[in-house]
Formats: sequence, structure tokens, C-alpha cells
Amino acid sequence: MTDSRLLDQGTAPNRYARGWHCLGLAEGFRDGKPHAIQGFETKLVVWQDSKGELNVLDGYCRHMGGDLTQGEVKGDEIACPFHDWRWGGDGKCKQIPYARRVPLRARTQRYETAIVNDQLFIWHDPEGSAADRDILPLQLPGLDEGLYTDWVWNAEHIEGSNCRELIDNVVDMAHFYYVHFSFPTSFRNVFEGHVATQFMESKGRPDKAGGYGSAELFLKSEATYYGPSYMINWLDVDYKGFETEVVLINTHIPTSQDSFLLQYGITVKKPEGMDDATANFIAEKYAEMFGSGFLQDVHIWKNKVPVQNPLLCEEDGPVYQLRRWYEQFYVDAADIVPEMVDRFEFEVDTTKANEFWQAEVADNLAKMAADGESVGH
Amino acid sequence: MASFVPTSPDTTEDQRLYTEARLVEVACLDCLAKVRVKKNSEHQTSVQWSSDAQGDCQEFQRRGQQPGRRDVHKPCPRMMASIDDAVRAGEVPIGAFDGY
Repeated sequence: MTDSRLLDQGTAPNRYARGWHCLGLAEGFRDGKPHAIQGFETKLVVWQDSKGELNVLDGYCRHMGGDLTQGEVKGDEIACPFHDWRWGGDGKCKQIPYARRVPLRARTQRYETAIVNDQLFIWHDPEGSAADRDILPLQLPGLDEGLYTDWVWNAEHIEGSNCRELIDNVVDMAHFYYVHFSFPTSFRNVFEGHVATQFMESKGRPDKAGGYGSAELFLKSEATYYGPSYMINWLDVDYKGFETEVVLINTHIPTSQDSFLLQYGITVKKPEGMDDATANFIAEKYAEMFGSGFLQDVHIWKNKVPVQNPLLCEEDGPVYQLRRWYEQFYVDAADIVPEMVDRFEFEVDTTKANEFWQAEVADNLAKMAADGESVGH
Repeated sequence: MASFVPTSPDTTEDQRLYTEARLVEVACLDCLAKVRVKKNSEHQTSVQWSSDAQGDCQEFQRRGQQPGRRDVHKPCPRMMASIDDAVRAGEVPIGAFDGY
């Protein structure tokens, strides 16, 4: 018998979360061609029909398994490249040109869709429930009115990690210092219903460049998950005294229990009197910054193991409560218990951490000065 | 079914420890709401609400219960004041005996 603590890696789930999942910017699917999206251990096909509706089906034809994403849009339907079976957006086979009639059972997996914030969403539920449109993510006020720049949108396939690693960031105060080079000075979480929020104020580390490192960067961040995979992050950024309202979308689709497609988008509220080109340029710069932030996380995720029994200190955020909240998307809807959805608030104490970090940064700056270095860029 | 299934019974005990241990009931001084509170330090506070308590909270009722509203992160100032009061009165122990 030993008193050393064991790391419980647990076993990965055997299903994927129930809820709305974002597939990307809707515009990208509107060219009359079929599009492939990997997700939920399969391939999905997305296309626009003649009425302008976007449709999403499982990507493999129920006839002989042909890849619909390599087929053709014919009228309102997606036609399989193998035998030209025509599938409608409602999941029914509409036509088999060489056959007298279509088998009644010819239905495939379809996904209900929604458009929010210029993005295409699908409802995924292993139990096959009807889409719950009451819990769609918030539509950003002012977006349709042209107050924001175009989205700068990026995708990154992450191999070797379950998507819960990304979710854990909601409560992880200290990693912002060590991984992203910023000091959180205030940090708070609230979980309620299908929503989980992180509220943070932070400033950049003056001893680091890259990520959020910079003596002149102050962030006020409000990041909310609407369901299991779509986060809206409102950021009031103060960089060298120049204030910008940035919105960061962080969303993912699980592709296996050990990989996910991460997508992130940036838009910036157009400052009054600024031309669109300059505003778009600012959005691209912020996309680069937050993109490099994600890559810092990815490096950690790729090399870590899953932990079901994290060992916490008093300065850590509420990772157990966050996972209890996340659990609601993995159990049958009938098995959701009050603890998973009841409101929970957590204020992190950042005083001790900040005392130590201030001293460490001062020390690093002094060492760099002595070595005649400046913060690299 | 669970998102991740622990492989050790100790993990279930950890889950209980971190989510349930040391929670102390605090009643709002202004309404009928009762929450459970834990403090790991002077500036750290956990507040566990129940649906009954949320229904009783005048502030939350006034704000409305629309899902996904943006002010979800804002606490009820009356409940926060009531918790501060209970802490001053010594009713909420501060810190874990074992450093958590």
C-alpha cells in the first residue's frame, strides 16, 4: 500500500454530446456543391438547395455506402456518385432514376439546422430528440445591422485529445499565466442550465511575447458556452490605450473520442469613423493573436493524459462542478439530475497567485536586463 | 452513461469532496432564498443554488429566466451581502483543514 496519489484516466464516453454544434460559416456552404464535414465519427454532407436552405445528412448513402460528399447537387437533392440515388434534406430518398419506385424505408440520418451569427448549426442527439430551438446560442446584437467586421474564421483539427480538455479551460485560472502569458486579476465562473460562463479580467505578462504576453494588453473577458460546444467570448481589449470590442467564437465538433475539429472566429465592432478595411485588418490581427493562444493549449493537450480525479489547491477553479455541468449533455435527457443544471457560482481568489506572479515577472525582467535582452518578438 | 467513467472508487469520493463537502447553508436576509456556501479563503466563495432558491430570489426573478441571457454571470447583490454577513458572524468556516 502506498499513499502516493493515483491518476485516474477513466474511460472515454461511448457517445457524443447532445446539443447544437456549429459547422462553420454558413456562406461557405452556399456554392451549390456538396461539402464534407467530419463529425461524430462519421462524415456529414452539407449542401444548399434551390430555396437557399442548407441541409445536413450523414455523408454515406444508405444504399451501398457511397460518399455523398463526392456526389452532386441535383435540384434540391444530393445525388450519390455511386448509383445516383437522390436524397432530400428531410432525410428521405426522393428518387432512384433507374428504379420503378423508392423503398419506403429509404431514410437516412438527417440533422436539423439553424443559422445563428452567420454560422450553420446542427442539432445532435444520440437519443434522436427533436431540436430544442429555445437553447440556440445568442444572436449577437448588431451583427446583422453591420456594426461588426466580417468574420475571420479558422479551423484546426486536434488529434490525440478528447474535446473535454477544451471545456476544462473554462475554470482554469492559472493556465492563463503559464500557457497564455497573462495575469488573471479577477476570475469568476457561473454554471446554470445549459450555460457555463467564465468572467475574467487580465493583463499581459511584460516578460513574455507571443500569446497574450505584453505589458500593454488589458482584457476584460466574458466567455459563455451555450451548450456543450459553442462559446461566445466577449472581449473588451485595451492595447496600448486603444480600446476594441472583440468577439471570439470558440466551437468544436468531436470527430472521435480522441480528436475534434476546433473552429474559431473573430469579429470586431467597427470603431466609429474607421473604414472597413482598417477594421478588418484589426480583426485579422486579433485572430492571429487568439489563434496562437489556441496553439499554446494544443501543445499541452497533445502531451497530457486525461484525468478524472484532478488534485486541486485552494486557488484552482471549480473543475469538478464544471464536469458535473458538462455531464448533462452525455446522459439521457431523462437522467439529467438537478446538480448538473442548478446554478453554481465560484469566485476564484487570485490574490496569492498575483503576489507570486508579480514577483516572478519582476525577477525575470531583472534577469533579462542584466543579460542585456529585451522581450523577443 | 457518463462522459468519462472513473476507474477508481476513490474518484467518486473526490467528486463528493470537491462538490459537496463543507457546504454551509446561508439564508438571504431579504428574501426566502437559501443557498449553500463554501469558502476556501477570504476571497474565494462557492455558492450552490437550488431551483427553489432561484425561484425565491427576487433579484433573479426580476431579471427573468430566459435561457442564455448574457447577464448570467452576475450574482445577486443581496445574497452576496447576506453571505458576507454570515462570514463576519463566523458561520462559514474559511479554508480546508488539509489545504484542500
